[in-house]
Amino acid sequence: MREITYCDALNEALRECMTEDENVVLLGEDIGSYGGIFQVTKGLQDEFGAERIVDVPIAEAGFVGAAVGAALTGMRPVVEIMFIDFTTVCMDMIINQAAKMRYMFGGKGSVPMVLRTNIGAGRGTAAQHSQSFHSIFAHIPGLVVVAPSGPYEAKGLLAEAIKNDNPVIFVEHKRLYMTKGEVPEESYRIPFGKAEIKRAGEDITIVATHALVGASLEAAEIAAKDGISVEVIDPRTLAPLDKDTILTSVKKTGRLIVADEGHKTCGFASEITAIAAEEAIEYLKAPVIRNASPDVPVPFSPPLEKAFMFGKDEILESIKKVIAYA
Amino acid sequence: MRLTKEKLSSFYQTMQTIRLFEERIVDLYARGQVPGLAHLYIGEEAVATGVCGALNKADYITSTHRGHGHVIAKGAALNPMMAELFGKVTGYCKGKGGSMHIADMDEGILGANGIAGGGLPIAIGAGWSAKWRKTTQVTACFFGDDASSNGTFHESLNLASLHKLPVLFICENNGYGISVSQAKCTPIKDIASRAVAYDMPGVVVDGNNVVEVYKAAEKAVKRARAGEGPTVIECKTYRWRGHHEGDPNQGGRYRTKEEIQEWKEKCPILQFEKALLKEKKATKTQLDEITRATEEAIDEAVLFAKESDYPSIEEMYKDVLV
Amino acid sequence: MATEVVIPMLGVTVEKGKVVEWLKEENDSVEKGESIFVVEADKVTTEVESPATGVLAKILLPPGEEVPVLSVIAIITDPGEAMPAEYLGEGGRAKLAEPASAAEPVKTSSPVESTGVTGSTFSGPIKVVPAARKLAKDRAIALQSVCATGPGETITHKDILTHKDTGKTEQSQNISTLARRKAEAEGVSLDGAQGTGVRGRVMVADLAGGKLPATQTLGQGRAAADFDPEFGKVIPMDGMRSTIAKRLTSSAFTAPHVAFYSDIHMDPLLAYRKAILPQFEQKFGIRPSVNDFLLKAVALTIREYPMLNAMLKDDEIHVLPSINVGLAVAIPNGLVVPALTDVDQQGISETAAQRKELTGRALKGQLTLEEMDRGTFTVSSLAQFDVTFFTSILNPPQSGILSVGKTRDELSLNDGAVIVKKVATMGVAVDHRIIDGVMAAGFIQTLKAKLENPAFTFMHC
Repeated sequence: MREITYCDALNEALRECMTEDENVVLLGEDIGSYGGIFQVTKGLQDEFGAERIVDVPIAEAGFVGAAVGAALTGMRPVVEIMFIDFTTVCMDMIINQAAKMRYMFGGKGSVPMVLRTNIGAGRGTAAQHSQSFHSIFAHIPGLVVVAPSGPYEAKGLLAEAIKNDNPVIFVEHKRLYMTKGEVPEESYRIPFGKAEIKRAGEDITIVATHALVGASLEAAEIAAKDGISVEVIDPRTLAPLDKDTILTSVKKTGRLIVADEGHKTCGFASEITAIAAEEAIEYLKAPVIRNASPDVPVPFSPPLEKAFMFGKDEILESIKKVIAYA
Repeated sequence: MRLTKEKLSSFYQTMQTIRLFEERIVDLYARGQVPGLAHLYIGEEAVATGVCGALNKADYITSTHRGHGHVIAKGAALNPMMAELFGKVTGYCKGKGGSMHIADMDEGILGANGIAGGGLPIAIGAGWSAKWRKTTQVTACFFGDDASSNGTFHESLNLASLHKLPVLFICENNGYGISVSQAKCTPIKDIASRAVAYDMPGVVVDGNNVVEVYKAAEKAVKRARAGEGPTVIECKTYRWRGHHEGDPNQGGRYRTKEEIQEWKEKCPILQFEKALLKEKKATKTQLDEITRATEEAIDEAVLFAKESDYPSIEEMYKDVLV
Repeated sequence: MATEVVIPMLGVTVEKGKVVEWLKEENDSVEKGESIFVVEADKVTTEVESPATGVLAKILLPPGEEVPVLSVIAIITDPGEAMPAEYLGEGGRAKLAEPASAAEPVKTSSPVESTGVTGSTFSGPIKVVPAARKLAKDRAIALQSVCATGPGETITHKDILTHKDTGKTEQSQNISTLARRKAEAEGVSLDGAQGTGVRGRVMVADLAGGKLPATQTLGQGRAAADFDPEFGKVIPMDGMRSTIAKRLTSSAFTAPHVAFYSDIHMDPLLAYRKAILPQFEQKFGIRPSVNDFLLKAVALTIREYPMLNAMLKDDEIHVLPSINVGLAVAIPNGLVVPALTDVDQQGISETAAQRKELTGRALKGQLTLEEMDRGTFTVSSLAQFDVTFFTSILNPPQSGILSVGKTRDELSLNDGAVIVKKVATMGVAVDHRIIDGVMAAGFIQTLKAKLENPAFTFMHC
């Protein structure tokens, strides 16, 4: 199969959905002729025109709210927030408006919009352009939170997000934009709330998100040489969450590691850990380990940022720690 | 512009419905039958009535925390409204939204809104949507004087004007953001003057004069439907009650009795009634009959709400996602 | 590098401890993990292992002197290393810890952490992963008997999977240093020695021909009674005595006591016991005492009066799920109350076995804190004395205590004929805050009925 980048896979999903449904429109900063800061919307304005691919002023509350209103009245808008850090200035529109409407209107009306944004440190962009607080959205009922881990997931999940009738927070990852992977040319959708077992194993379960799925698979490969069999699960959507797949695996292996780039405290890794403690405690043979970002803002200085980040090596350390509990 | 007797009579009926509905809430709230927060619209009826009088059923409104008047004027039915305020399953939102979240997609009511300034971006989204879908729908966006201090006001006016969106920005200036007077919130006298910054018309009208409000709205609607863009209409008015039921002495901690009395004398309904009778657009009997029928409809709504069931506990888990 | 040896933290409520005996002398070589002294705190004696390998360079605390836990009591140096100056000369005294620090979990060089599962007499919580705990429960494996191989001596899932019931292999390692030394000195074989210490540890007292009375161990090093010319004999309060003093004072002044008495006709129970004894002993290999029947009857009565198994915590009454009956045992230096677990659910043979085992170890000062803390009701018997009846003070935070007087002869009329009856007066004292008189009266009356109709009461036991 052909290989394309994560970025191009997203672009392809947008193109396919816009071709198929003229109610799909894109709003975002610099998404027109510039093609978006990460080039995800490259070429789309030429193809679909400035009416449907709209460069908006720096007014996140305004244009995200506009997407909510448009979605409520029959459109399927996709907005791009340049960095997840900037969602803080439109949280009211996301949390109090988009997420609540269907519920507080008693099941009347729906908000079929997608908010695309990205997380991830590692580009020297410091504390206001590198955060990974996607867990905040998973805390809010009424939102779907998607975490594509590779090009295949990027295309299939974005197509599903656009066609889904709920407000979707589509959380991309900066370091993945240029990674390549096999992506079918035809359109396809990956259902929400269904985790994928990326690698089957018997001894340890790793639940990983975003770029850490790849890191976990590398770590699993190395551990296999020592006879340690690691199962790697990619939840794909943080909300709704496929608890069954995770719990089935944890009950089988009895050892759980969670790898997520959010801060350690109250993050997605904590949530998975809590689920295991609540629903599978008697199966646990070892302490659960959260591989997560330290509870500090992302620092700028390269050695500090490097120390902030983690990946394959840290996951391997965790594997050693939990396997010590025979 | 001449208004038909029917149109004028419908204004009277709408204003009287809002007034009597709200007065009934005062009583029910005091008796503990309506839970939560009730932000009443008494004194401001001419604004919602005049603006919605200029809209079609297919047009949209976004509303505020003080939204009963807007949704009644846009066509909401009294029974499900009253039931919603009681928290009953027969309410507009199955009892899950309450006073601040009444919505009815069929009537173009995109929801009252508990966040000050929260409705503005949603309104421009609805306007943008009509433009994308190539319909002639317009959206009227109600907000208070102090919501114009919020960033969403400026972001929305900017975007709406930039893209010539069919939106009416209706500022209901009742002089206070809860307890703080307009003078303490902004150096400008007229909120409408802010329209200048976004290159759109901004007009100031007497918000207690339903005909004047209607005429301004109608002009703005025409402009919007013609694709010429949005208008700000500032309606100067006053709320007679406190910020919400339970605000001591109807806002007596920050307003004088004299001031309240002065505005009560400018009652939008009495003024309109006098004008109708003087110009012989209606008879006293006709108006009394409207009032009596409205009272009856409200009695029925209260009975309907009281006799309705509360939602089942299972209902709590429904409608989170589609 | 010199390592400080401290009196270890022995439990959250333990504030003081004292060395009962040093198992090593100054300048002896010590191995990390080897027991080097015996500590007594809150009525319990515990062997403490060396925190380091080296030379026991200096003992700073002689046996018998009570000091706050975490006090530095000895120094271990590397071979050839000089003593740190601060401990030389005048500094050669124990460095006392702040008493208040007892409530805080201070990390020390003491080996307390590692003693949970290695067979020491220290009875800290056992570290075990949840899956192992579940499996052990399913297989009825006592976690105390499992050898922990996980990090920080945690019992892993595999440890349970591969666990065989405590065999000799484990026992061979589970011998107190003193016992081993004595055995070597006397040329006694330890093979097959039956350990009576915690988790089957072979103690000196277990050695054939090497009987070292437990009382002597306990008494050793007790600060000698001084004589003050003005006030007569002054006896310093040791750990046990001050614990007893504190607890009973608190109980007496916190819980309003009220007691209810009843005369129990004892002939039926004595006859019943006599009748079943031969076959019982043959079948179960144990001789049940009258107390065993009494404990069982009490437990069965508590089942009908669960408030007697409750305790007052702040504003809440907590009714406890297990009926653990404590039996007050007089020992030479005071009194301890080990509790038998789940007495209501056990047969008489199990009750007898538990009672025998616990009282045996109580006399040797080898009870664990847990065994003394778990009681939910207490039976105090002075039947062996010429005491007709007496009142007891509640064992806090329990809400009921039964006092058992001697069994005496009384004259009685039976169909017009004068007969002799065996009678014992028993009294129940209760915490009047949560138990009303009517309930307490019902309890003692039900207990009387049970004891006077033993055939029915113990039908299924």
